[in-house]
Amino acid sequence: MMSMERIIRSGERIALAHYHLDPEQWEAMLTAPGRALSLLSCWADEQRVYVLFLDGDCPLMASTPVEDRRYLAPSSRFPAAEWGERVAYDLWGVEAMSACGDGRPALDDGFWETTWPLSSRPGPGGQAMPLPAGRSRLRAETTGLSGPLELSFDVLRGAVQGLSVDAGLAHRGVLQRMVGLSPEEALPLVARMTAGGFVAHPMAFCRAVAQARGLQPGPGTRDAWMILLEIERISVHLFDMARTARAVDAGLLATHCEHAREAIAAACAEQGVPRRLTDVITCEGVRSGLEIVPLAHAVLEVMYSRMAQLRELQSVFAPRLKGLAVLAPAQAREFAVGGLVGRASGRSLDVRRREVGMRLDALRATGSSDGDAAARDALRLTEIRDSLALIKRILGSIGMDDDEPAPEATQEGIGAAEGARGDVWYWVRLKNGKIESVHARDPAVSLLPVLHRVLQGEAPERLSAGLKSLALAPSGVAM
Amino acid sequence: MTAFQTMGPLSVLHAFLNVSRWRVSADKGMSVRPDTINLYVLETGGCEGCAMEVESLCGSAFALEQYGFARVTDPADADWLLVTGPMGRACVQMLERVWNAMPAGKSLVAVGACAVDGGMFGPNYATLGGLKALTPVRRAIPGCPPSPQDILVGLQRLAER
Repeated sequence: MMSMERIIRSGERIALAHYHLDPEQWEAMLTAPGRALSLLSCWADEQRVYVLFLDGDCPLMASTPVEDRRYLAPSSRFPAAEWGERVAYDLWGVEAMSACGDGRPALDDGFWETTWPLSSRPGPGGQAMPLPAGRSRLRAETTGLSGPLELSFDVLRGAVQGLSVDAGLAHRGVLQRMVGLSPEEALPLVARMTAGGFVAHPMAFCRAVAQARGLQPGPGTRDAWMILLEIERISVHLFDMARTARAVDAGLLATHCEHAREAIAAACAEQGVPRRLTDVITCEGVRSGLEIVPLAHAVLEVMYSRMAQLRELQSVFAPRLKGLAVLAPAQAREFAVGGLVGRASGRSLDVRRREVGMRLDALRATGSSDGDAAARDALRLTEIRDSLALIKRILGSIGMDDDEPAPEATQEGIGAAEGARGDVWYWVRLKNGKIESVHARDPAVSLLPVLHRVLQGEAPERLSAGLKSLALAPSGVAM
Repeated sequence: MTAFQTMGPLSVLHAFLNVSRWRVSADKGMSVRPDTINLYVLETGGCEGCAMEVESLCGSAFALEQYGFARVTDPADADWLLVTGPMGRACVQMLERVWNAMPAGKSLVAVGACAVDGGMFGPNYATLGGLKALTPVRRAIPGCPPSPQDILVGLQRLAER
């Protein structure tokens, strides 16, 4: 019997890491014995269904034709694929057979102008379904998150049970808006995918585009991107720490995090760079006029003087976050939850470790594997420390050459970036220089299938604090 | 030497005393209002950039209250509704719910390009393309995203009208 990865590689290789499988190979892949690969994302359109895996630390992608608007559901083997299958049904009207889950709408709750809006046979818009009677609700405007996301649940002896998530309110159809544009024309849309990834999303996208074009970003661009990504990580971690702290009345910690984040924004502005690093990544490198070395020094100066105090305050208030919104290590593994949330639950995935030119010695973050809000908060601060060390290391050898050869140009590419909230992935297919097809995977998506388990048993009044600690971004989920 | 070892012995009291030293000061020329305008913030399906900037403004790095504004968490206490994001079709009910819960004399303020007309997220099957699709937008603060200082200055100008 062949392993899952061997079955995939027995298909027709059509790009660096993408294999076309026939329906028999697809089924064999989903029923292969032994260890399953880690699923990163699943998506489909009217023609094909795709899965993106992590094989070791490298991406591996498979796809198969959609026949009669149906395909064998990847969620029959990978429960985390369910979200992508539901999205595909809402957008294209293609159906996943033998899917796990209850098949509820992912994005379209009946408010859209058309049903299956991207399909060749769209229908009239649906009708919003009322919530089953007796269920409690955390309305979208009361979650405390930056974007709309609604929770419904039962309360049994003061504890949340049977939680379900309506995560589609923030859907804007961003990916569809990119189709037919050149990568350069599409970049402003990518740069507004989600505010926690103003750098990470464009960076992953530009890496995918470079691979599709058979290009390898030079060492100068590579290092500038790495520094910008670390500055964003520090800023977003501070934002998430501040918001979590406010949710548990740790105002002093929140205050210091907020001040530090604003000081970074001011340092960026003083260097002539947008405060939140919007539109700094381009397909060719970085925006014109951006001087990365003085920017990096300015951020280091701002943060070093604050770190000891932040650590002190974080440890003082940590007990308030103990046991809140626990993601068990086994669940993190089963659902391939990456990013900071996964790492705080014992997963070691950090796609920076596979990057060419990465100064690996600076990535030392370790911490508790308890998987609760306290573990996540402590890890955020430790990762800020590592980001500062990494920036310093890069400055010490900026533009250091490497021998990485350019990939073969196949008009298809996969790119990744380890954003503050986790690993961001892009897949693009170009045709005549324009985007023919594109998919993005935000780390928030990997949290959806585990959210009901993470929040199960919490008191309803603690849900908001739990969500804030997980730093779930509805804009990243729904796009 | 690690980042955590660059300072000497510390205490929570020291951190408390340090807060005012690090507060970002707004424009010195900005006027201070005698009465308070209560703000309720609603994100309606954008990238969350504007929402996060409003959140920063409402945090302790800015002295929002000093300039006559306060953030409230119940629409029943709000005078102004600050909307961010390009108005998803699925978010209209939420907007109506919040608006209807606000007391009479209320105002609507679009914060950021998307909230006005959708910005780069114009109308499609899922998005209406900003508040403009629902009502004339008379009060707006431009930017993508506007900085907390921009938002504060914009709020002050609107309050002076």
